[in-house]
Order: sequence, then structure tokens, then C-alpha cells
Amino acid sequence: METIKNYLKKTGMSADENQITDFLEANENEIKSFLADLWKDQVVKPAEEALPIEAAGEQPAAAASQPAAAVSEPAAAVSEQITAVSEQAAAVSEQAAAAEAPKISTEAPKDMAKFGAATPLHEEQRKQEVLQHQIKNRQITFPNGKINQPYEVDFDAEKLQMPEIAEILFENLEAIGLQYFPEEHKIKGVPTKSGDHKVEMKFKRKDWEVGKPLLSREVMFIINPDPRELWSKNIPTPEDVEYYKPDSDKAFLKVEPKTVKDGFLGLGKKEIPRKSMVAASQRGRSHAIEGKPRDDDFALHFDSQTEWYVMVVADGAGSANYSRKGSQVACQTAKEVCANQLAKEGFSDVLDCAIGEYAKDKSEKNRADLYRSLHSEILAKAAWAAKIGIEKEAAANRRAPKEYATTLLISICKKFDFGWFVGAFWVGDGGIGIYRKEPQRLKILGEPDGGEFAGQTRFLTMPEVFSDRVRTRFEVVEDFTAVVLMSDGVTDPKFETDANLNKIEKWNALWDDLNGHNEDNAKVSFLDSSEQSAAQLLRWLDFWSKGNHDDRTIAILF
Amino acid sequence: MRRLPVYILVQTSGAMRGEPIEAIKVGLETMVSSLRQDPFALESVHLSVITFNRYPEQILPLTELENMQIPAIAQPTAAGTHLGEALEFMCKKIDSEVVLSTPERKGDWMPLLFVMCDGRASDSQLFQQIIPVVKQKHFGSIVACLVGHNPRKENVEQFAGSVVNMDTADSSTIRSFFKWVSASVSVGNRSVGAADEIILPPPPPEVHTIV
Repeated sequence: METIKNYLKKTGMSADENQITDFLEANENEIKSFLADLWKDQVVKPAEEALPIEAAGEQPAAAASQPAAAVSEPAAAVSEQITAVSEQAAAVSEQAAAAEAPKISTEAPKDMAKFGAATPLHEEQRKQEVLQHQIKNRQITFPNGKINQPYEVDFDAEKLQMPEIAEILFENLEAIGLQYFPEEHKIKGVPTKSGDHKVEMKFKRKDWEVGKPLLSREVMFIINPDPRELWSKNIPTPEDVEYYKPDSDKAFLKVEPKTVKDGFLGLGKKEIPRKSMVAASQRGRSHAIEGKPRDDDFALHFDSQTEWYVMVVADGAGSANYSRKGSQVACQTAKEVCANQLAKEGFSDVLDCAIGEYAKDKSEKNRADLYRSLHSEILAKAAWAAKIGIEKEAAANRRAPKEYATTLLISICKKFDFGWFVGAFWVGDGGIGIYRKEPQRLKILGEPDGGEFAGQTRFLTMPEVFSDRVRTRFEVVEDFTAVVLMSDGVTDPKFETDANLNKIEKWNALWDDLNGHNEDNAKVSFLDSSEQSAAQLLRWLDFWSKGNHDDRTIAILF
Repeated sequence: MRRLPVYILVQTSGAMRGEPIEAIKVGLETMVSSLRQDPFALESVHLSVITFNRYPEQILPLTELENMQIPAIAQPTAAGTHLGEALEFMCKKIDSEVVLSTPERKGDWMPLLFVMCDGRASDSQLFQQIIPVVKQKHFGSIVACLVGHNPRKENVEQFAGSVVNMDTADSSTIRSFFKWVSASVSVGNRSVGAADEIILPPPPPEVHTIV
């Protein structure tokens, strides 16, 4: 390396020294073997010319110009040759040792033994170089490991098929937590350091003696870092960012039991428990690691007059710069429109009436009537208003609405004598479901919008979402354990595929999971509905799932 | 777990002999090693390397980053730059390797494609035929990186979303290119979705954007 640098300096070439250094370092092996190959071609002819020199028994200088390493399959020939030499110079202990080397040369050209009448010392050097070249060109790779996870790989020195080698050592393998066990033919341990580790492999020849150099080469051990550790970075979103919102949010909306007259002539009083709502939204690790804001949002509402429940969840597009505002505008607008409509004098009655008719007789006419008022008077109206709200926000800032792209899930629910009515409007991915544990019942109120590739979905800001499919759905059910709205940050890890969203086993697993059956022991108490459950739900959202680090939002009526 | 398939096409005909091909190999290794430090990439990137001269060869089938080891790229000797054939070959690989979403199966992210070549296509007829096919493959992003002497941009402009040029295909430039590629891959991982094409980070100053 130094020589080349000096040479370049002398010649006054303007090449960047660093570039040359980098290049040479990076390609050291290739350059060396390339040179060795070049030499090989040159050696063959002089080898025959060398015969008379051998006869003369002297002139080692001539032999020295023939690098032994150039012979590509040379081991056999050389070992035989050395044997021959050693007969001449038995006194040299090095050669005597070499003579014991196994002869594996059956196909070696006999005349090879004649060439290169070198001194014993030179023969030794040649043998060393031949082996070194062989070692360098052997393909030796090891499977990648993982930090802090047991690593075990078979490594049998015999399989290298290098009979001259008695022993192999790995230098500094312990430094990364691994060890070579020659008797077991294994390399094992628990890697302690991640990264690309170059490990020196040392080869001890059978005729090795103290003081003689070992042959060596580098091998690579790649140890992968622990993704959990890489993900653990949590940078708070700077509060001065445009449209700042907290990195997590939670809400618990307690609906107190209803007191009704009871008993003889209605003189007594009875408390009827009512369902409450809980929701939580957690910024994903993919955002936390970069200090980027949470794009998800949610909103809850209960109308104490009409007893309508409203839940909204929105997932701002990761690829849209201001989707955090888009999801917020969507949730707030949709919630307000639903709340206002349901509180509007007379409207709730009309809707209740249509629901009652449908519950009594699920005829096409009743279904159509109910759909019409539910869709155009509330759900689509709310979604449309949300879309307009986003467009206004975008226009006010001279931006395109798609920079505020968001999905939207709306659900309105109410208890009747005959059971529960649940209506929903669904744009994008995520999911809305009515789950009942006992007896087992499941209704999914729509279909996730997905594309051919991951991450493709539809957003509220796309004009076609109001005409492409039936997005308003409703069900009348006897009772339920939970009505759940989730962004895809939850459905992706918990349901994996769209088809699974319709499988009750998956919902059972989700419900058990929420009730504490998970590795973190994160439990949400749904029985004694209290403020605590919001904090518990937020903690639960922190669950670990490989490759799923999106924002997560869930809203539950229970 | 969603995969992000990344295809890297490397021209290995005579024009790339010497420093360019060595630098590409080192660049690839550096790229893989730095991507391993990015948790997005570590959990999702799957990389495939296809080399081509007169014939294409997939020297690394689509492999997850975790288990990946960059194979040796042989020093180019053969003449002929069959870019069209290479693209056709890659499209076939994509058809068999990239998973599309179905209700029962979770699909991959849109694949990314990086082509390193001198922009020549000795099989110009096939090349012209294959361009519309490449366009139908829904890449998240296609970047062509022109290397070698006297590179030509006319061909790659027809299918690549961005074309960059490296005046000097020395190791440090190529290294900075791959650094940029890894940054782009990381970004691709995050922003595929609403946008039609990923917005890549600006390339390093050594690498000039043409388109």
C-alpha cells in the first residue's frame, strides 16, 4: 500500500490518495488472487527450463522468481516435491517435518517434483504460499446470527478437504460471544455484539512447530441487531410542529346507569346499567423513532337525551404531510354532525321509528327506508362534511386536500327494547365489528379498502369513495360484548389479513388479549368500568408485533 | 409482516470491468450493513441482485436482510449489454417472487428497482417491447444510475422515475450512491401508500440527477 502511494507521489499523479487506499483495501483479496493468477501463467514454462538449474543444485535466486502460490491445484505436487528435497537435505529439521506431510498426490505430474531446485527454506515458503492461496480461495461463509440469541452452526474442518491442515483456530471469536468447539465440529454461543465482524481464521499445518507462522484468512460473521432495541428510541414530537398533537391520547366516556320507575304502580326505582365507551390512540414506533407526530385520531360522544352513542376513528395517511390534521378534522366534524343530527328535534324519533319497523319486519322496504335515512341524513352526511372540512383546511393553507388524506370509521349505536342497533360508515382500512363472546356472534360492518400492494387503501379525500361501494352498513343484534373500531395499526398485527377479520376465533383472541392474555400482562378491565380502563387500553396498545409499528387507535363500546 | 422487495440490476459487461464493478460490490455490502441498522429495513427489506451482460443472472434471489450475504460478483469479461433481456428476466422474477394482497394473504409493499448500467441496450428491439411491461409492474420507485464511460440516458429515461449520473464511478462515489439508495429504501418503507410514487431523499452531490 505504502509503495503504491509513494510511487504515485513520485510520478506526480493527481489521483486521490484516499480513493486509491479505499479501493485497494476493499479489494485486497481480489487483487492478490488476481496477481497470483497472472503469475500462474508465467510459471509453467520456466518450470521446465529450471531443470538444468536443479541439476546444478544451486542458484536459488532463479527459483525464487517462481512464486509457488501460482499453482492452482498445487498441494499434492508440492508436498511430493518437498519430500524429494528433504531426502537431499535431511539435516534441515523443517524439511524433515514436511516429509511427514501426507502424500495425497495421485494425479500430480511427476515431473513437477523436478522443478524448482530451491533451498529447503524456499521450498517451505513455497508450500506455505500454496496453502495460503488455497485457503483464501475457499468459500467459507457462516449463517448470520442475532444478538443475544443462541447461535449454533456446524463447522467441520475436515470438510474443507485440506489434509495439510491439522488444526483451525478462530481469533477473537470470543469477543463477539462465540466459540469454536473442534471436537463437536460446532461454532456456538450467544452473540453479544451486532454488526459485520471480520474474524481471523488461523490454520495450523500438521508440520507446524512453535515459532513458525500460521496461515490465515478473514471470514465474516454478521450479527443482526435486535429490532426491539433499534425500535426503542422514542423521540417526543416537537411541540412547535405545525398541527401539533400529543403523541398519545385516551378517553373514557362513562354512561351512568339509568334510573327508571319500577315496582307496583311505578312507585319503586330501578337502576339499569348502561354501556360505556373507552378509546386510546398511540403513536407508532415508526413515528416515535423519528420524532414524527401521530397521524391517527378518534372522537367519542354520548347524547344523554336520545341515548345515542357515537364513535369515530381516523387514520391519517403516512405518506401525506398533514394527515394528522386531516384525521383530527375528520373525527371532530363527523362526531359533531352525528351529534347534531341525532339531537335534532324529531329526527331521532323518525330514525328510531324506522329502526323499530325494521327490527319487527326485516323486509326489503323497511331495510331500504332505514338505509335511506341512516345514510343520507347521518352517516354519509357526516363523512361528506368531514371531507369538506378537510378541503377547507387545505384550501386555507393553499395545499392539496390529499396532503391531509385520512381514512374514516364512524359508528352510531343505540339500545332498544328489542336489542341494539349499530350503524357504521367505513372508508379505508382498519375495521368495525360487533363481537359477542357468549353466545358466539360476530358482525363486521363493511370491508377494508385494500389494493394489490401493502399500504394501498382509499382515503376520504378521494372523490370516488362516495360512489364506489355501499359504505353505510347496519345491524340489529340482541346484545354484544363490544363494538370495536380499530385503525390498521391494530388490525394488521391482530388480524393479519382481510379474511381473518371475519373469523370469530381471531376476535376471541383479541378479546382475550385485551383481557390480559398477552406477554406484557397488559389488561383492560371492562367489568368495573372506570377511568382506569383508558390508561390500561393505552398501555395495551404498546404491544410488540414484528414489522407492525404504525399508529394504533382503538375505540370500544362495552 | 409485510415485505419490501428491492431489486438491484447491475450491468456486468466489459464496460464495467475494473473499479466500477468492485466499487459496486463494496457499495452493496455497505448498503446492506447500514440497512441492518434501520429497524424498518431489518424487518421488511428483501433484496434481490440481478447481474446482466449478454445474459441476465439472479445472483441473489429475493432474500430477507436478516439472512442475507452479498454474493461475489464476477469480474465482467463478456461483451454485450442486453438491458431489455435483463428487464424481461426481472419482470418474470417479480411475477414469481412478489406477493400481491388477497383477502387470505398479506401482500408486499410496492417493489423498488435500482438499475446500475451505462444506459446502452444492445437488444434495442426487445428493450422497447419490455418497457410497457416494466411500467405495469407498479414499482414504488425506479432509479437508474448511469455509470461507465460515456453513459447514455435516452434508454433508461423511458422507464426510470429518476435517473442519476455518476461522473466518476470510483468507490467513494458509488459508496455515496448506495448510502442514498439505503436512505431511499428506508423512506420507501414508510411512505408507500397514498402517493403514487415515493418521494426520494435528494441524492448526494457526487451523483447528479438528470431527470
